[in-house]
Amino acid sequence: MPYLPTSQAYLEQSAQLLQAYPDTTRIVTKYNFPTNRRGNVRRAQKSKARKEAQATDASSTTTSAQPPTSIATLTLKTFNPITGICLHYRTNKAQEVGRLITSLGKLAAGADVAGLGLSAPVPAAGADVEMVDAPVEEVAAPVAGKAQGQAQGQSAKGKKKGGKGKR
Amino acid sequence: MAPHLGHDEFFKSLADLLSKTSEQVHGSVNLTQKPLIDVPGATTTNSQPSILIRATDGNTNTPNLGRTCKETQIKSKKSQKVKLSTIVNPDDIEAFYVRYAEVCKAGMTGLKKRDRRGRKAKTKGGATKVTKA
Repeated sequence: MPYLPTSQAYLEQSAQLLQAYPDTTRIVTKYNFPTNRRGNVRRAQKSKARKEAQATDASSTTTSAQPPTSIATLTLKTFNPITGICLHYRTNKAQEVGRLITSLGKLAAGADVAGLGLSAPVPAAGADVEMVDAPVEEVAAPVAGKAQGQAQGQSAKGKKKGGKGKR
Repeated sequence: MAPHLGHDEFFKSLADLLSKTSEQVHGSVNLTQKPLIDVPGATTTNSQPSILIRATDGNTNTPNLGRTCKETQIKSKKSQKVKLSTIVNPDDIEAFYVRYAEVCKAGMTGLKKRDRRGRKAKTKGGATKVTKA
């Protein structure tokens, strides 16, 4: 099952899954360091080499000095055993931990998508806005679903851009 | 299975577990949260179930394979595996998660910190690029 690109998408979809199956859905948070199995190490080396090759191709950015110690990852997983739906989100940024755990608390308390209080507009609200702007688009339910997906994609893009700007 | 811990105890043990894992730079910590339904001891208010929180270590303490014989491996695995659990009543969820987030933030030191130095260098590079263009 998929790794979601942004924490926001993960939290929104998790909220929906928890709303649909509040009794059986569970959330697992894994904090782990990469193991030094041979396959893992080889893969890490490969990806590192690839990244460096890309960096030299671009030749504009200097390769940031990798810290010698291995970096841990935090994997969030929302799993519903009955439907077999499993949502993943993976990060290695320390600054996200606090926000993620607080959001998990909100999910545990039974918050819906709107109750999460995420910074970007909630899909439902976004759909409402879109209806005001362009009522033609919102003819049927599938279209609305599409619009929602687009809105999510847009928000994801916006987030990425924001990150770049900050750096 | 060990009995459920109180919140204070749970947080203390969890902080220990996280810091130990971070120090070793190896292993993993699994945290699970799920609703507790139809279990004695769980209070349910306005259709909100209690939440069961579990924390276990993955293979942090498994000894080096191949060196020790199988029996001792199994024994030590069993004796050393850490299993923590606690129950959060629906009324306490918010307060619990504030502390939970703090403990996790403090304990998960192996994650990538925000790299301010790198950011500075990047912006410098960007500035030179701009001037070039």
